Amino acid sequence: MVDRAESAVALAGEREATPPKLSLRGLIKTRRSTSGEMLTAVDNVTFDVHQGEFVCLLGPSGCGKTTILNILAGLDEPTSGKALLDGRTISGPGPDRAVLFQEPALFPWLSVVANVEFALKHVGVAPGERRERAMGWLENVHLTGYANAQPHELSAGMRQRVALARALACDPDVLLGDEPFGALDAQARELLQNEVQRVWVESEGRKTFVFVTHNVREAALLADRVLVMTAAPGKLLEEQRIYAPRPRNLDDALVSRVVSEVHEVLMREVGKGGTT
Amino acid sequence: MTDEPVPSPSTQERLADLTDDERLVLAKVADIVRKIQYGTVVLVIQDGKVVQIEMAEKFRLR
Repeated sequence: MVDRAESAVALAGEREATPPKLSLRGLIKTRRSTSGEMLTAVDNVTFDVHQGEFVCLLGPSGCGKTTILNILAGLDEPTSGKALLDGRTISGPGPDRAVLFQEPALFPWLSVVANVEFALKHVGVAPGERRERAMGWLENVHLTGYANAQPHELSAGMRQRVALARALACDPDVLLGDEPFGALDAQARELLQNEVQRVWVESEGRKTFVFVTHNVREAALLADRVLVMTAAPGKLLEEQRIYAPRPRNLDDALVSRVVSEVHEVLMREVGKGGTT
Repeated sequence: MTDEPVPSPSTQERLADLTDDERLVLAKVADIVRKIQYGTVVLVIQDGKVVQIEMAEKFRLR
């Protein structure tokens, strides 16, 4: 009757007993500004993400959270420290890590289904299987009726759903999201959040999700762990581990409580010089 | 928890009156309290019964 939190705690314990899926060790990233000054974007960040976890990185604008995600995606390199996937140094992007960007980045000259098929081709799915798999994923995101539409015919939320289908169709171990719902209206955002929760639950611990967001509610709704960063230069400030079953609602007492606590911490950081 | 006073006789009577289900809930809450340093525990109640225990644990990282 009251076992669900207990099983969530036990599951988290089991995950932590296994080697991490993703690992950052003493990660530092510096950049040269346009005026030639060296700026530290990420300052000595260390954390692990285990297989099957859903982690959200949260922080004021410019705190380096997107830089961290880009390094995990293999799109950027650390200045010092290590970024590891399954214990091996990340040396570039790969089909084992799909990335969802704020803008869906669909090919505008391809139909919706062809966009998904293109990704399947890229990971070596045989031509005869591509259509069926692509249609299966479009069905998962409730877009079967738009398979032959062009991206420009869809709303922003629908385009992002296509991007989600395309990312997941390749069956990546890791899904990285850089503010993936940041440009959507409230309703489209909620639909996508529910979709992502469902996909993650149905993966039954196989898929690891890391999302960057500055939306505290989104983080508390989706994540097992919310990592809050300081204003620039970005360091880890606080972690919230949330043991509550899914799908969660923003009205849930625990979600509201976590939102309130994280929001308070974040506002203090913004007061120190960051912006949301 | 170790510094807590011994329950007064009336508290002991109330503890003795608890049903098995109520004891189970309290035992699970106590497990969580022993496990975490900072956090929140939420009991979800339906029809007068605790149907779910949720928790969030907070860590300061610097």
